[in-house]
Amino acid sequence: MIEIEHLTKRYGAAAIVDDVSFRVEEGTVAAVVGTSGAGKSTLLRMINRLVEPSAGRVLIDGQDTMAIPEDALRHRIGYVIQGYGLFPHRTVAENIATVPRLLGWDRRQIAARVEELLDLFGLDPAEFAKKFPHQLSGGEQQRVGVARALAARPALLLMDEPFGALDPVIRHKAQDELLSIQRRLGTTVVLVTHDMNEAFHLADRIAVMNQGRLLQYAAPAELLTRPAEAFVEQLVGSAERPFRLLSLMRVQEAVEPGTAEGEPLSVADTLHDALSRLIWLGREVLPVADASGAPVGRISVSRILAHGRARA
Amino acid sequence: MNTILQTTVPGMHSSRSHIILDRLGSVIAVLISIALFAAPFATYRANRIVAGEGRMLTEALPTAGALGVTAVILCVALCAVLARAPVIRLAAAAAGLGAVFPALGWSAGFLTPAGNTFARVSPALGFWLLTLALALLAADALTRLRLGPLARLAALAVAAGAIAGLLLSGAWNDLSLLKEYANRADSFWREARQHLWLALGSMAAACLVGLPLGILAHRFRALRAAVLQVLSIVQTVPSIALFGILIAPLGYLAAHVPLAAALGIRGIGAAPAFIALFLYSLLPVVGNTVTGLSQVPPAVTDAARGMGLSRRQRLLEVELPLALPVILAGVRIVLVQNLGLATVAALIGGGGFGTFVFQGIGQTAIDLVLLGAVPTVALSFAAAVILDAMIDLAKGPSHDRD
Ligand SMILES: Nc1ncnc2c1ncn2[C@@H]1O[C@H](COP(=O)(O)OP(=O)(O)OP(=O)(O)O)[C@@H](O)[C@H]1O
Ligand SMILES: [Mg+2]
Repeated sequence: MIEIEHLTKRYGAAAIVDDVSFRVEEGTVAAVVGTSGAGKSTLLRMINRLVEPSAGRVLIDGQDTMAIPEDALRHRIGYVIQGYGLFPHRTVAENIATVPRLLGWDRRQIAARVEELLDLFGLDPAEFAKKFPHQLSGGEQQRVGVARALAARPALLLMDEPFGALDPVIRHKAQDELLSIQRRLGTTVVLVTHDMNEAFHLADRIAVMNQGRLLQYAAPAELLTRPAEAFVEQLVGSAERPFRLLSLMRVQEAVEPGTAEGEPLSVADTLHDALSRLIWLGREVLPVADASGAPVGRISVSRILAHGRARA
Repeated sequence: MNTILQTTVPGMHSSRSHIILDRLGSVIAVLISIALFAAPFATYRANRIVAGEGRMLTEALPTAGALGVTAVILCVALCAVLARAPVIRLAAAAAGLGAVFPALGWSAGFLTPAGNTFARVSPALGFWLLTLALALLAADALTRLRLGPLARLAALAVAAGAIAGLLLSGAWNDLSLLKEYANRADSFWREARQHLWLALGSMAAACLVGLPLGILAHRFRALRAAVLQVLSIVQTVPSIALFGILIAPLGYLAAHVPLAAALGIRGIGAAPAFIALFLYSLLPVVGNTVTGLSQVPPAVTDAARGMGLSRRQRLLEVELPLALPVILAGVRIVLVQNLGLATVAALIGGGGFGTFVFQGIGQTAIDLVLLGAVPTVALSFAAAVILDAMIDLAKGPSHDRD
């Protein structure tokens, strides 16, 4: 768990990050969003002390980060940036081994960890371990960047626009992959992004920043239904709101008793996906099945639309 | 001859036969034709300082020999114009050099009257033009072969071996250059050691001082501008003037500080030369260190900091390895520059190959000048090849795409 308390950064008279406080629970993903220059990167970099705060403090599992020597602190925190910053003169395996090597792991332990991570990220060790960064595609570099950050099993992972340089298809795959790995390892993630879809797709909670101030820190659905300020409403995109809301909910939540003709939807599909299918097939209702394929009821366009409506 | 001259029209294609004439090859062929048919191959002098008379290749060798060499060289010219494969062009250049170099030694023996120890034979314009043309052909072929760094080092070793073989075989012993050498073999090797000591020692000193200075200048912006400006000013002082400027303070030091005198520091001699070369070397080393370090991508240093590499670890494991090719490029400049500049040291009694050059100029003995100049040029050339190979090796696998 990480607690950010009254964190402030001033350059001269300008407060780039202005009295920001929030808390990220163990094993959850927090996204920091906001326009360019809002102070997102500065906030993130104060967590691992790449930037020294002017005021306020950061607690990791209750411990003040100022009490930990900065290099030791950074060994415990994974860090991924846009462009990944892979070492061009080191192989993929050597890049991933960076922090374990600094921590003095023995050679066999490091080799085993590198192999495990390459497997985890779907990169065949036999093919990729010996490659150099310039021999990788953008998507492969991104995966190596995240694998390197996770090498020493940090409980906390900081990511600054980690998917910014990827094309939409690869980006979506990388996001799903990150999410599944994060769920599996239980890593706490703080992620800075420009991309609202990404924030809604990945985050348990979203922090909206503007001009150094934290405007709202809330679950995605709450950001949509109860925006704290006009700026938040504008940022989440008023035209997109119902669709964003629907993609946060599962068919499970809108299923009704009864039967219908056609290929069944899964209870795990989002309402957004379900609506797309209904519109595309020109149907009012479709059957719903559970994970094992057993029918559990049906879903209708009107029930879905009711879920995408503003609440009082 | 006519057909060869035609080939000089740039990019001309013989449309009927579809033979593509090589442009550089055509230039080489013209050079070769001039060298063979319009320039003297060797110079004959009755003694070492009188004016010489040129001897065409046909006069410089027995008829059969002259015809043989001419035939070989013409074949090389034909290859230069027509052959496309770099390997063939390289082989042609090697064959040409393999004919011309021994031929020069042979001509010396042929032109020197038996028993005459005063007569001198030296290479003339024709020989130099042939060497130039063949070296161009070889260099072009080597470039087109895109040899890796190790292969280039091997090629250099082969060339050095061939030259050493030629010299040791005695084939050139009748040549004036080697007669000058034979007269002062001891001092030649002494000056060679001195030359290398001046050039390499000042380079090593410049690296020892310049590398840390460059690292500091990279880190502290204020220091950077000041250091680079001062070193740039030093660089603009002409070498003779810098030697001169150093004579006064070092002379004072020698006269007033017994330790300095005991260390052999004097106003003239090796000390001011060494210091001048050292000062000239600082700018390339410091400048390239700063440039190399500043070219490390910011994302890489940021990631390194973010992963908890200490300052020292970042410098040693990330920044210096990535800056190494640029730093080595600075060392290459220094080495080639110092090997050349060290000749000037002789002017203030610092020794080195310059000793022969200036003695030769004083005595109007051109072969003595060559005895100093040729090893200097050869050393600079070898240093450039070796450092280029090292730079490529330092770039290593992280750059193998380009
Ligand atoms: N070292 C510094 N000195 C002075 N100002 C700085 C410094 N670092 C950042 N800033 C300023 O702080 C502001 C916020 O920067 P920051 O990088 O945190 O923004 P951001 O939200 O990450 O923007 P982006 O989305 O474009 O990455 C910017 O206006 C920037 O110019
Ligand atoms: Mg940023």
